[in-house]
Amino acid sequence: MKHIKTIQQPCINASAHTGCGECQASCQSACKTSCTVANQKCQKESK
Amino acid sequence: MIHAFRFQNYYLALDVESGAVHSMDEQAYEVVRALEEGRPLESLPYPKEEVGEIVAELNSLHDAGAFEAEELVPPEGTGGQVIKAMCMHMAHDCNLRCKYCFADTGEFHGARMLMPEKVAYAALDFLIAHSGKRHNLEVDLFGGEPLMNWDVVKKTVAYGRELEKKHDKRINFTITTNCVALDDEKIDFINREMHNVVLSLDGRREIHDALRPTANGKGSFDLIAPRAQELVRRRGDKEHYVRGTFTNRNLDFTNDVKALREMGFEQISLEPVVLPDESPYAIRAEHVETVLAEYDKLASFLLSERKAGRWFNFFHFMVDLAGGPCLKKRVSGCGAGAEYVAVSPDGDIFPCHQFVGEAEWKMGSVLSGEFNTGMQQDFLSCNILTKPECRACWAKYFCSGGCAANAWKYNGDIRKPYRATCEFEKKRTECALGIFAAERES
Ligand code: SF4
Ligand code: SF4
Repeated sequence: MKHIKTIQQPCINASAHTGCGECQASCQSACKTSCTVANQKCQKESK
Repeated sequence: MIHAFRFQNYYLALDVESGAVHSMDEQAYEVVRALEEGRPLESLPYPKEEVGEIVAELNSLHDAGAFEAEELVPPEGTGGQVIKAMCMHMAHDCNLRCKYCFADTGEFHGARMLMPEKVAYAALDFLIAHSGKRHNLEVDLFGGEPLMNWDVVKKTVAYGRELEKKHDKRINFTITTNCVALDDEKIDFINREMHNVVLSLDGRREIHDALRPTANGKGSFDLIAPRAQELVRRRGDKEHYVRGTFTNRNLDFTNDVKALREMGFEQISLEPVVLPDESPYAIRAEHVETVLAEYDKLASFLLSERKAGRWFNFFHFMVDLAGGPCLKKRVSGCGAGAEYVAVSPDGDIFPCHQFVGEAEWKMGSVLSGEFNTGMQQDFLSCNILTKPECRACWAKYFCSGGCAANAWKYNGDIRKPYRATCEFEKKRTECALGIFAAERES
């Protein structure tokens, strides 16, 4: 494409039907005052 | 839903529902903006053929599910009613008198108190009993200052290790400490037993000392900095964060990140203070623009440092686009009151550490075993699908609906996000995506 370059392919749909609940609860990580989940790893993948 | 934005010299667009990110030229960016805002494309100052080309590119992205993708709904029920994470308030007491402390200088609106061993054990028993089939559990040893109850901290970990074996679970312990009481023995124990460590340090000495004095009013920087450095040096690659707070006194917080870098720290998090508007340190509406501009500055600093081979990580600019959490997690957020609870030193249960001591939010007690599942349901159903502002927000899958405690404190409703933190979250997400784009293309 001439005008647009996709730098990240669609990724959210890949995980739409999972949800094992094994990943970290977000606020437990570092912030303790707010929530950012997008930077978290999927526990299944990191195993 | 599309969010087009600029970051440095980049023109970027996030396709919200698919998570695709596109980098484009200025013309394409203007076309996307016009489409977003419902302006006629004829009003753009570009040749018709060029606009036509861009529209064709967007159409093919749409066909590939990467532009204006449909909203997805995660599976029901897999989050369930289990509790898998717990914040244990080991001490409602502190050896510092931080001016912005949400725990009201360690007292949490009540008397100073250390969590007795009996309560700590009951809390872990409660967690195991409510954890269902979850294997990975998390326990954060929090305060006040947890090192003030060190003996019970050690016993709690030992008891947790027994429970792991007995119930085939894994408990990942985290400790959050102000570092004042750290010594060799504690550092080694923490590095051995804790999955993660959060060290509270605000950055520049003068900033830190002004807001984090000791009980006798002296600065605490010189007490803390060498201990924190020693812990991190011995810890190696294991997870940790140096976590600071910024207030309206240091809206130029990039300088605090720089100070932490100069001290050798690589894993850094700085958070806006959460205080009512009348507090002298509060971040108020009039500060928002300054904070947003400062995040841009920080992003530039991070990029230039990394480019020069001086890698470091800023918690809120970290984003894992491809391998991030599943949709279910993105929708349900922090899990407060649902799969995450906090326990006060006397054994009362609250939705999270920010609610501890607020009588109306008491959910139960680990001693009596009672637990308000109705309140748990309320929190479970408070997510980005049910909060209209969040559902319509482009940052929803990165933010996951913000902080229920902030929403309640500022707007009196856990479902009404607090606007200033939304602005910060959106800016940080733009910076994170911008950094991703910049590092990919360099
Ligand atoms: S930024 Fe605000 S509106 Fe958007 S998802 Fe987060 S809390 Fe909701
Ligand atoms: S409600 Fe706020 S403070 Fe509590 S766990 Fe969630 S994000 Fe963290």
